[in-house]
This record gives sequence, C-alpha cells and structure tokens, in this order.
Amino acid sequence: MRIFRIGLLLGWRQVQRANKWTTLLIIFVMMLTFLNLIAVSGVLVGLITGAERAVRAESIGDIIISELDGEDRILETERILKELQSYPEIVAYAPRFDGGATLEANYKERRDLSGERDIASVAITGIDVELEDKMSGLSGNIIDGEYLKEDEEGYILIGSYYTAEFAEQFGDIFDTLDNIKPGVTVRLTVGDISKELVVKGLVQSKVDEVSLNTYIPEREFRRLFGRIDRNADRIVVRVTPEGTEDKVKASLVASGLDKYAKIQTFEEGKPKFITDIKNTMNLLGTFIGSIGIVVASITIFIIIFINALSRRPQIGILKGIGIERKAIEVAYVLQAAFYALLGSALGALLTYGFLLGYFERNPIKFPFSDGILVAPPDETFLRFLILFAVTLVAGFLPAWLIVRQNTLNSILGRK
Amino acid sequence: MSIIEANNIHRKFGEGTLVTHVLKGIDFTAEQGEFVAIMGKSGAGKSTLMYQLSALDEPTEGTLLIDGTDVLNLNESEKTSFRLNTLGYIFQNYALVPDLTAEENVMLPLLMRGGAWNDAKERARHSLDNVDLDGKYSNLPAELSGGEQQRVAVARALTGKPKIIFADEPTANLDSVSGRQVIDLLEHLHRDYGQTIVMVTHEREYAMGCDRIIHMEDGIVTKVEQLK
Ligand SMILES: Nc1ncnc2c1ncn2[C@@H]1O[C@H](COP(=O)(O)OP(=O)(O)OP(=O)(O)O)[C@@H](O)[C@H]1O
Ligand SMILES: [Mg+2]
Repeated sequence: MRIFRIGLLLGWRQVQRANKWTTLLIIFVMMLTFLNLIAVSGVLVGLITGAERAVRAESIGDIIISELDGEDRILETERILKELQSYPEIVAYAPRFDGGATLEANYKERRDLSGERDIASVAITGIDVELEDKMSGLSGNIIDGEYLKEDEEGYILIGSYYTAEFAEQFGDIFDTLDNIKPGVTVRLTVGDISKELVVKGLVQSKVDEVSLNTYIPEREFRRLFGRIDRNADRIVVRVTPEGTEDKVKASLVASGLDKYAKIQTFEEGKPKFITDIKNTMNLLGTFIGSIGIVVASITIFIIIFINALSRRPQIGILKGIGIERKAIEVAYVLQAAFYALLGSALGALLTYGFLLGYFERNPIKFPFSDGILVAPPDETFLRFLILFAVTLVAGFLPAWLIVRQNTLNSILGRK
Repeated sequence: MSIIEANNIHRKFGEGTLVTHVLKGIDFTAEQGEFVAIMGKSGAGKSTLMYQLSALDEPTEGTLLIDGTDVLNLNESEKTSFRLNTLGYIFQNYALVPDLTAEENVMLPLLMRGGAWNDAKERARHSLDNVDLDGKYSNLPAELSGGEQQRVAVARALTGKPKIIFADEPTANLDSVSGRQVIDLLEHLHRDYGQTIVMVTHEREYAMGCDRIIHMEDGIVTKVEQLK
C-alpha cells in the first residue's frame, strides 16, 4: 500500500509532466494495437458471420426439418406443416422438394445434330411459391425476369451459376447453359420424362445454394418426379424473435414430430465448414493481432526504458534516500498501465460506439458475403486482459533493469 | 558509544594491476550531536569515505557501526530501510525529483515510512518554512533557484528527523550568499536541535562552525582539528 502510493505519486506526476503530444502518441499506438487485436479477427470472423447470416436468411432458416436417418423423405409432411401453423413464434415456413435433373437449352436453334448439345446437370427444388418467398425472400433474389406465380405452370427459375454469363468469373466449375434469359425455352429431363419450360427469371444470391439451383412449383415437381405422397425433403422454418428457435424446437420435439423427421436448429444444422472457417479466421485474426501485441510491447518497453534511463540519477537518489525499489518499479508499471488502459478504452469506445454499427449498416461487400464486424464483449475483454498484462510486463522489465543497478553508480552516473 | 564507529576502512576500485586504492585504512568516529567536517584536496577520497559511512557503498575492508547497527551485514533492502529511517542526505547537485513539487519532494521519505498523506504534507510544509521556503511549496525544482533547491534538499533530509545527516559539498554549486544560507541552516540544526552532521567541504570558512575538522590526503586521515 505504502509502496503503491509512492509509485502512484511518482508515476502519475511523470505522466502529468511528460510532453502531451508524446503521451497522446503513445496512447494512439495503444489504441491501434487494441483495434488491431479486436478488429482484424473481428472482420475476418465477421466475413463468415455475414455469410452465415445470409445462409440463415435465404437458405436454411432458423429451424430445419429433414428426413430421419434411413428415410428418403420427411414422413407425415402435411401433418407437420399443419402443426407449424399453430406456433405463434413461427412466422414463416416452407416445404422443399429436392432433386436432380438435366436441363438443355438452345436445342431448337441447333443445326448440326451431331454437334455438342447445350446441357447441364442441375439441382432442382420444388417450392411452394408463396410460402418460399415469405420464408427466404426468393423473389428478392431475382436479378432478371420475374418470380414464379402461384397456379401458373410451365415456368422455371434458374440460378445464375448455371448461366454462362454469370459463371464466367468462376471458371468451368459447373455445367453452364448459353443464352439463358427470361422468355427462353429450356428442356428439363428427369429420367425418361422431359418437359419444356419457359425461363421466368434468373436467381442470384451470395448464398451458393441459392444461385446453384433451379426452381419450379412443387406440384409440377412432384408430377415430374412421380412423388405422389406429398412428403417433402426439407421444411425450413423462420421464428421470431431470433433466439427462440431452441424453445420452438423443443416443443416441436415434445409434440412428437421427431418421430417423422429430424428437427435441428440453425446452429445444429448449419454446414460444419462454416464453424470450421470461423474458427480458422478467429485463429488467424488472433495471430495477426498477436503481432500487434508484440509490436506494442516493444514500443512500451522502449518508451519506459528510455524514460527510466534518462532518470537514472534520480532513481539512484530515490533509492539513496530510502525509497524501495518496488515503489520505483510500480511507478513505471503504472505508467505502462495508464497507456494501455486509456488506449484500450479509446479503442473499445471506437469499436462499440462506432465501428460495429457502421459495418452493420455498411457491410463490406465480398462476393460470397456481406462482411460485418464481430466483437463479442467477453472475447474483447479477454483480449484486452492479454494486452494489458503484456503491457505491464513490458513496462516492468525495463524499470526493473534500471532500478536494480547499483545505487551509487546511478547517482553518480557511472558505468 | 559513538554514533558512527568506523575502523580500518579500505576501499579499492578495479582489479589486478589496475587496482586503485582510494581509502587506505581510515578510522572515523562521530559522537551523538557532533558536527564533523571533512576537508582535503580534490581526489583525497572525501566523497568515497562519505559513501562508505552512509551505507551507499561497501568498503573492501573494515568495520562500520552506525547507531549500534552493523551496517555492512545488512542486505540491500535492509540497507534501504536503514537509510530511510536513520540517515539523511544532502548531495552536491541538489538531487530533487524534477517531476515532484518542492513539498512532494520533502514528503517522499515520510510517505515511504507509511505516514498519512495530510500529516506528511503538514510536516513537509513545516520543514520548508524552516528553510525559508514558505510560499514555494508547489514550485517544481526547475522553478526554484539553485540555493532554493538545495534548501529543499536540506528540508527533505531533515523531515524524517534522521539520526545523522550526511552532506557532501552542499554548497559546491551555490553562490556565496546561498552557500552561507545552507551552512547557517546546518549550524542552526546542530546548535538548537543537537543534530549529528557529517559534512564535506572545501571552504575552511564553512567548517569553522563545526566541532571537529578531519583532514584527508590521499586516502588517509592526516590531521584532526578539535574546534570545540
Ligand atoms: N569508482 C571508482 N573507480 C576508480 N576510481 C575511483 C572511483 N571512485 C573514486 N575513484 C578515485 O578515488 C579518488 C578519490 O575520489 P573522491 O571522489 O573520493 O575524491 P574527493 O576527495 O571527493 O574529491 P573532490 O573534492 O574533487 O570531490 C579519485 O582519485 C578518484 O579517481
Ligand atoms: Mg567529492
């Protein structure tokens, strides 16, 4: 206590008398270090979180119901859909029927019958036109043409990845079709059944599963695929407010629906690679941030070292008149703490007061995601603690080095 | 028992053929309440002797008892605490902490002893009053003249009521008026409060108020003058 008080007096007066601009500069460096530590991993993780959000919004929803292990489809689909309507938390849901088919384009214009046909194997989903739009806002992802209409047959929506124009940028990863635009006729083949459909619209989203798919109304799908039992492959569900999905899932299970289908929340059902990439990004961000910590600790070390070295005679005098070494060391550690604390506080203020909101409103546009900034307070606090501890050590070390030197030599400026 | 009892003090620097033998067997005693001056030519070893006597340095050989304590056998932190509680220092070059005000400089040893802040402040101001520095409590050292700074140093050395005050040429950097002021202060402390003081000085005039003058030459005591 005694020691701390003297340390505080000496340290605080030094900060007070120090050059204001130097102090500001040091605090600025500490703030940048803090931001580097928080924001770099925050943006990297935010990139994936952005993608995750999009997947949740446009693809798999808050709760995803799928077939039980060993079954082909969800059993008793009608009954489940009816049950879903009785939950006030459930604001939207949509059954989906999945299949694969072959799509051919430009066959009418083909003169040379022995030439290569314009064919692509595509994923196709039969959707309830209205429910699907309410659920995933599919109509909002139409970039050309129009969305499907209820009770209208003979139309198809095609994901942009299957069109040569949009897929160019990705190279030859998927089969693509030329000259696809609204109004064009294509031929869909499932097994031995073929049907001519008119392209109604093109679909594009940052979620790959949406862009790499084709859509037709469910009734037509069931007819084409011979699915008379009306059982869907997936039912995706949206709840409100977000976060109640665990509760809703629990009561769905409690009402016995898990006999017919597997019920998962987004967290359980989301693709595992999302979690993996998120962890990787976090690690990467931490690594980059750690370099920042090293730089900051060296900065602090040098600042305190020069500070203490230039005061070596006084340190000697202090020891000479009976001030304990620890008190003098505390003075320097407190200075380092002061810089770290103020820098981090400013950094935190900037992060939570401005950056988070800013990126939420203006996400960084990446091809696969609208990146936001992710900075969970507990993780931020942990990183702050690490930065703080490192700074204390970086302040203590040079002080210790200089304070431990022989008292008389320090006073006389010898050696 | 004498308050300082030093016997056969040797101090060598360096090693091997480069050894400098600075103190060559010095016996030194000072009684409680005595004012002793050390005089001698530059390089005689006066400062070196002071450092040995005041537990800032360790003699290569010899014994030293201060106020009955075998100082040479204390470890570093015990020495620090011994210096804090028993000794007061006035250095040649004022030696104040530049970031602290006059008052805070004087408070330091009191705070280190665990004194309460307000109490330390009051005593510091009292000491500053005694050295004619009332009204300069909040001045930084840089805002004081050399003489004033040295008087702050005297006040700092006094406030803890140390058993012995060591002063190594306290007037060296001062003009004659300021120098005289500091010497008067020390004489006053000695006369009115019975303060034990050991002082190095070059000026015979400043040594005349002492009880005893010790003359040094080339690391040995050559003459002792008893004035009172
Ligand atoms: N650390 C050291 N290493 C080597 N020699 C030293 C050391 N300290 C002092 N000396 C030598 O010891 C001698 C005495 O030095 P000291 O400082 O005690 O003299 P002094 O009597 O105080 O002189 P002055 O009146 O100039 O202050 C000098 O010749 C000096 O060179
Ligand atoms: Mg000297």
